Amino acid sequence: MNEILLIFLASLASLGRVFLTIGLSIITGWFLGYIAIKSKAFENIYISVVEIFESVPVISFFPVVLIFFVYRIGGYIGIELAVDFLVFTAVVWNIWIGIYQAFKTVPSDLLEVSENYRLGFLGKMAKLYIPYSWPRIAANLIPSFADAIFYITVSEVFSIGSSSYHVFGIGTLIGEFTASQEYTLALDGLGILAIPIIIFTYLLRRFANYTVSKYGLDTEIKVTKRGRMRIRYATRMSNTIAPFVKLSKYVTRIGSRSASSEEETRRNLPWRYLGIGISVLLLGLLVYGAFSTISSVPKSVWLYLISTTPNVLFNLLIDYIRVLFIAIVSLVFSIFLGYFIATRERVEKVLIPAIQTYASFPAPAYFPLLFTATISFIHTVFGSWTDEFYVILLGFISTFYYVFYSYWLGIKNVPNQYWEIMKNYNFSFWHKLRYVIIPSTFPYIISGLSSTINSAWGGLAIGEYWEISNSYTLQVSHGIMKSIAVATANGNIPLAAWDSLIFGIVVMIYSIFFTRKMMDLAREKYVAEEGIYLP
Amino acid sequence: MFENINMYTKDRELIAIVGPSGIGKSTLLRVLGGFVKPLKGEIRLLGKKVTSPTPKIALIHQSIATFPWLTALENVKLGLKYRKLPKEEEDRLAKHMLEVVGLQGFEDVYPKQMSGGMRQRIAIARALAANPLVLLMDEPFSHLDELTAEGLRQEVHSMLFYESTTLHSVVLVSHSLSEVVELADRVYVLNGRPATVIGEVEIKLERPRNPKDESFQEYLDILYALLTPVKKGGNNNE
Repeated sequence: MNEILLIFLASLASLGRVFLTIGLSIITGWFLGYIAIKSKAFENIYISVVEIFESVPVISFFPVVLIFFVYRIGGYIGIELAVDFLVFTAVVWNIWIGIYQAFKTVPSDLLEVSENYRLGFLGKMAKLYIPYSWPRIAANLIPSFADAIFYITVSEVFSIGSSSYHVFGIGTLIGEFTASQEYTLALDGLGILAIPIIIFTYLLRRFANYTVSKYGLDTEIKVTKRGRMRIRYATRMSNTIAPFVKLSKYVTRIGSRSASSEEETRRNLPWRYLGIGISVLLLGLLVYGAFSTISSVPKSVWLYLISTTPNVLFNLLIDYIRVLFIAIVSLVFSIFLGYFIATRERVEKVLIPAIQTYASFPAPAYFPLLFTATISFIHTVFGSWTDEFYVILLGFISTFYYVFYSYWLGIKNVPNQYWEIMKNYNFSFWHKLRYVIIPSTFPYIISGLSSTINSAWGGLAIGEYWEISNSYTLQVSHGIMKSIAVATANGNIPLAAWDSLIFGIVVMIYSIFFTRKMMDLAREKYVAEEGIYLP
Repeated sequence: MFENINMYTKDRELIAIVGPSGIGKSTLLRVLGGFVKPLKGEIRLLGKKVTSPTPKIALIHQSIATFPWLTALENVKLGLKYRKLPKEEEDRLAKHMLEVVGLQGFEDVYPKQMSGGMRQRIAIARALAANPLVLLMDEPFSHLDELTAEGLRQEVHSMLFYESTTLHSVVLVSHSLSEVVELADRVYVLNGRPATVIGEVEIKLERPRNPKDESFQEYLDILYALLTPVKKGGNNNE
């Protein structure tokens, strides 16, 4: 078959997977969101589970996915489902939370109107909830699309032990071209993939604008519980548009609206029972899953896994140092570049859309080409640190834009009065950064940094053990991500799962105790809008 | 937006600019401060052309702007940063300015813990700390409740022209005519499109001024008359 046609079809296949998983996330999000607002029991479990999964990088789902889909289902369908599931886990959480937030913030006036006219479930969904959720969904589509493209290009090909699995798609094809040193074709593949990415990024931006203008309402959102700022999901779009800025500030939990009448309570009853039923089922499955896993693994394997724990923790520590390094470099880079761009209108008009498109372009797809083109030079400079350099570089280019956009967005939201004060009192560049810009953007920095840190794990997972060309395997000496990749490649699924479990727990603890604490501090002290007194 | 605007201030004078909503009073204030460049004409401070914002002309915002992550003292010190003073000197001057605006004892309190009136005092102290020659006040009391606003109005003149401040003139923009009569030495009345100065009223009342005084009311009537559009045909009873 003509290679260009093949590339075109492969791009369509990959994009088809992306849109399929996004579509599935939206539809399931509507139903789960509806149940969540009707049943307190389900809401608590649903939001907690989503928050936890959201803070755990996609890659930690990998062994579970492999065990279930490849071994239990098997065949091409099993592999296809494994790939789709991985992409699903990359896109679903923000869409689900976005829909839940939208449903929770439907204005009570409109709800009363829908009660007044006795709209049933379908009527309410079609006339009220679904339209109202579109702006949030649209706001989440661009980052979801970018995340999905990022992960699809790496999850289309994977190996367990001596078996290699792949599905037809652009990730597989570019990987094959690069491996067989057909660089022109690999570049063609990237070029062709770039076209739909540019078009869809543009269309999604237009769609987001359209939904905000058509379905957006200016409502007063009463926030009664804490939650993370939704910066990550607003970072890849043009946030100079006020509604997006607003959307980015919504929090995950919003106070409940109590049922206004006995009649409404009675009508909500089936949904409440359904919610409780699903909650019990979900908890039961979790307990059963944990129990069956523990009991099905032989004692000797448990002892072996436990004996590896110190090593796992050491590997994790090394990776945290890498992640910290990537995060610091990204932050410093962002603080200067973000300020430079945000304060120069013309540069901003060109660079922001360009960086947005670049951010949607999956680093794993073009990185092997970049590697091949630069390896000899980099090797002469870095010597034995060459692989380390590439892994950090991959982590950096995959993730710096989260903190960059977040910070840029923060600067765009610095109140005009502060700019006037800085001009009025002739602030030097450092005074501006120290007293105004960095404190004003602190909540945005923390949020962006937390996303950068989460995503850096994805970059490390790909780079730490990667057969980047036929003759070269990129690998680091130590790292939890390398350990997972090597264990998976050797067919040692228990070790891969053990690594993932410990990794997941540590990331979760980090998220709860560090990110949230920092966000609380940011919310408590560094909210620039509170410095402008508008009673 | 503006046409034939010719304004001046004298030493130790508080002038006010009044006009209908949307006429461009706040924009004019920013032109005076060098924040907005005029298409034609120029602004001069002691004969020297003003081309960009300068601490010599300090602006007080309508939406009271303080920095919530800095204490009252640190907020005031921002006005001193451009002078690159030693830390002790910065502290001393900032504390003194807080005293001038009546906030002694509140040095370590954060703006969030203060009322709107106290926050505006911080903003005034910050402006005074910069050693300005001119102070531009953009409806500084409009976001305060009436009681607080009145309290601050009664103090503000003596606060601004306190002996240790470097201030020579204050330009106040307001939509409240009684506020203007209470505070200003001279009032410029803006009206029309493009906006132009349609009247200049000198307020010759002793301070403190009492809004219940007959002469106070007379000044109010003069300003109202200047701002009320005269109907064509001249018969208002129809």
